[in-house]
Amino acid sequence: MPRARHLILNLVTWSLVLLIAFPLFWMIITSVKPQSELFRIPPTWLPETVTFEHYWRLLSETPFLRYFRNSVVLATTTTLFVVSLGTLGAYSLVRFNYRGRETLAMLVLFTYLLPSVVLIIPLYMMMVAIGLSNTLMSLILAHTTFALPYALWLLRSFMEGVPKDLESAALVDGATRMGAFRDVILPQLLPGIISTALFTFILSWNEYLYALVLVNSDAVAPLTTGVMSMLISAFNIEWSLLMAASVMMSLPLIVVFAFLQSYLTSGFGAGGVKG
Amino acid sequence: MANVTLSKVRKSFGAFTALEELNMEIAAGEFIALLGPSGCGKSTTLRILAGLEFPTSGEISIDDRRVNDLPPGKRDIAMVFQSYALYPHMTVAENIAYPLKKHGVKRPEREAAVRQAAELLQLEPLLDRKPKQLSGGQQQRVALGRALVRDPKVFLLDEPLSNLDAKLRSYMRAELIELHRRLGKTMVYVTHDQLEAMTMATRIAVMHGGRLQQFDTPEMVYNCPANRFVASFIGTPSMNQLEGRVEGGAFILGPDRIAIDRTMFRDDLADGPAVLGIRPEYIQIGRGPLQATVRLAENTGHETILTLELSEGSRITARVEAGSRHKVGQVLSLGLQNDAVHLFEPGENGARLNKEQTGAAVIPMRAQ
Repeated sequence: MPRARHLILNLVTWSLVLLIAFPLFWMIITSVKPQSELFRIPPTWLPETVTFEHYWRLLSETPFLRYFRNSVVLATTTTLFVVSLGTLGAYSLVRFNYRGRETLAMLVLFTYLLPSVVLIIPLYMMMVAIGLSNTLMSLILAHTTFALPYALWLLRSFMEGVPKDLESAALVDGATRMGAFRDVILPQLLPGIISTALFTFILSWNEYLYALVLVNSDAVAPLTTGVMSMLISAFNIEWSLLMAASVMMSLPLIVVFAFLQSYLTSGFGAGGVKG
Repeated sequence: MANVTLSKVRKSFGAFTALEELNMEIAAGEFIALLGPSGCGKSTTLRILAGLEFPTSGEISIDDRRVNDLPPGKRDIAMVFQSYALYPHMTVAENIAYPLKKHGVKRPEREAAVRQAAELLQLEPLLDRKPKQLSGGQQQRVALGRALVRDPKVFLLDEPLSNLDAKLRSYMRAELIELHRRLGKTMVYVTHDQLEAMTMATRIAVMHGGRLQQFDTPEMVYNCPANRFVASFIGTPSMNQLEGRVEGGAFILGPDRIAIDRTMFRDDLADGPAVLGIRPEYIQIGRGPLQATVRLAENTGHETILTLELSEGSRITARVEAGSRHKVGQVLSLGLQNDAVHLFEPGENGARLNKEQTGAAVIPMRAQ
């Protein structure tokens, strides 16, 4: 019976959606419940009184804003690094002929074969050696190392979609190589650049492990580690503050995602479809 | 107006040689077609002229100035690409203005030049559109507009008509001839379509395997092909080539003897293996020493192409009037028009053995 199949399919899909959406829902609900309502049994599904006191406390009494700023600087700088290096690298991998080009492209992916835990210790030693330990820069560099290979491959497939003739035409029309790159290639690459930037930003924004190991000063901690160490101790978890912080941490991503969703999905498809 | 010279230009990609010692002198104002099958080196030649590829050795000069070391933008050339290569994110007006912008032309002059080019190519209503919103023919005209807006010394065109449908192609062919007449600029046109080369060019450079086979007027290339390749490449259907032997005043083809006029051929023509070439229009049906069976009769409306099998087994094509009624299986006697016979050396690309102007056309080339 196609009708029954339809029903079962819908049921399965919706229960999956609920399964994934429920924690998000609970996070938002908890963040606006007053302290008194938090641990009531049976729990209230919708808060009886809505309060923003946790948000206010978070912003006024904790270093949340500093962590937020650190995260913004960290994710933005990483994205800038990765996109500019990735674009130029992809251009080289696609447009220039040199010995070992393909090997190089494969080698770049090699870092993915190793678990990040294996890379952390050498990275930490390196950062100490060059005097960058405990700085945002060390995290920016670390995030760049694991975001760049993927960005390079993503941008490479976008770059392959830009016809070579366009660049030749710009050169004949009087542009320099960099001029042709700026005037003709970059605009064509824009969807690729945007989706690469999004991937990188999200990756860097959510990253926890490197931040935990490479940075232990509270002054430069990003949101992920900062909020955790601030609100979770061995004896107590500040649930309401934690949930409010979680909502505010997710907000930038959700906003960006909503606006640039179509670019992101085109990025997912870029590897598979070639013109 | 500028002349273009290629001297001893070689180009190899790794072990592969794309061009072998190319020498070519193009006079100012000429319309040159580089003609050949794919992979013959014609596009490479054009890209070397444009500065998009560098020759392995040899010299290139434009307007008596060596340009080997100049980047494409400094050579004062314009190029139209097979794919048109219009900048997708720019409007038609911005596309046409781009070369001017890159050469530092001020905005008011740029706008005036764009308007002028648009007027010439009837693009005025399209100036604000993006390339994606245009038809193939319109994109083609924008590409031409972008090429001629800067008033370059030399135009390079890389198969510009090959993406158009047949009707539009013949229209654009006429437009390009007219444009060349009006501008009087040197044009180098790459094509694999012999019809385009024959109808548009003042001279045709026939290329094959990275070598220049013949560089001459369309009439000479058609009537006095330098070798077997040119003979077979130019003309539809192509020239019949029959392998046999020269013996005294005759060409021996299996059991048949075809009388030839030895005064038409080079004095050093010796008896021995040779290839006889004759165009389909010079085969006379109904009289002559040869016997042939009709294997195929293709009526194109204004003429009929017969595929005939000679008694010794080889096949030839003959061009006859459309009204003639030949049936498949019918046996005909046929002869070859004596003054239209070519002889070639045997071998894959044997040279022609005729004296310079012999074997030339009695009938001018027919329109297709």
